[in-house]
Amino acid sequence: MRLVIDERRCKGCNLCTLVCPYRIFSAGKQPNARGIVVPVLDRPERCANCRLQALYGRTLCGMCQMICPDQAISWVEEKPGEAQKVAIEF
Amino acid sequence: MTYSDWLRVDRLPHIYCAGCGNGTVINCTLNAVDRMGWKKEETVFVSGIGCSSRAPGYIVTDSLHTTHGRALAFATGIKMANPELHVVVFTGDGDLAAIGGNHFIHSCRRNIDLTVVCMNNQIYGMTGGQGSPTTPRGALSTTTPYGSQEPAFDLCELASAAGANFVSRWTSYHVKELTRSIHQGLGVPGFSFIEALVQCPTNYGRRNKFRQVMDQVEYFKTHGILVQKAHRLRDEGLPIPADAILLGDMVRRDRPAMGVKR
Repeated sequence: MRLVIDERRCKGCNLCTLVCPYRIFSAGKQPNARGIVVPVLDRPERCANCRLQALYGRTLCGMCQMICPDQAISWVEEKPGEAQKVAIEF
Repeated sequence: MTYSDWLRVDRLPHIYCAGCGNGTVINCTLNAVDRMGWKKEETVFVSGIGCSSRAPGYIVTDSLHTTHGRALAFATGIKMANPELHVVVFTGDGDLAAIGGNHFIHSCRRNIDLTVVCMNNQIYGMTGGQGSPTTPRGALSTTTPYGSQEPAFDLCELASAAGANFVSRWTSYHVKELTRSIHQGLGVPGFSFIEALVQCPTNYGRRNKFRQVMDQVEYFKTHGILVQKAHRLRDEGLPIPADAILLGDMVRRDRPAMGVKR
């Protein structure tokens, strides 16, 4: 699973930066084509939901998706690719 | 199924301002409704007038966008005409406490089997930031430019005094707890009232020293205390901070309810 922000819905309120326990979201700097500064993702593969959603069969943390007032945050299925080394901070 | 199956994707993005907490409350409500396992054909969302009341327009189920303050009257009609339906009312503080105040207390008195989610942004957001009955004392708005001099309505106290079966208050920061409370409220027979304090960055926060959206959410986070803790402080004779927001499930009882299928 991969964490994505839908740029067509995001209005740049940065509430996701407040709640993420891994601090994956941070305030962006460049406005996009709609003139909205969308938050940038810092190593989104650290997200617990990305790694373990399929294993547990349910949404695990999901705080960013719940607090997002614009319904812009979601997880999409990824094609199985090559394995990557991921550093997880505790 | 997830909550996103209940959204009318073709209508998104919605018209709410950037950072408006109403979208968060929609997420929580739809998550709770989804957890109940209800069918979309048997669920009706009703709303009045205001920012919060635009919410049913973004939901795929049948919905009713009614006159100002009369959402509960229309919802009562739906429930009485067909008790099989699950009726959820979205309403705002101006809708519920000001113009619809009498409908509110009498719905509580009759204890009709409805779930009311009140998005309390403490101001009339849609019409330009006039002071509402829930504007806290000292808060600035366009009609109270020197600070509101009136005490604010405590909607949860009002609902519990009028006889609602389930009363709860959370904020848009406490998404998990809000979802849990709405889920409990949907399951309770009789009138369930869930007040969700939401941030209004455009009309409330901008005038009241919450320049960024996050400032007001941080305020909810730091000033909210659980009712259990407030009761404990009161029993120990310790002072409860004056600006504390009491959060949690206030009332849960089993008064005879109206409109419940037997």
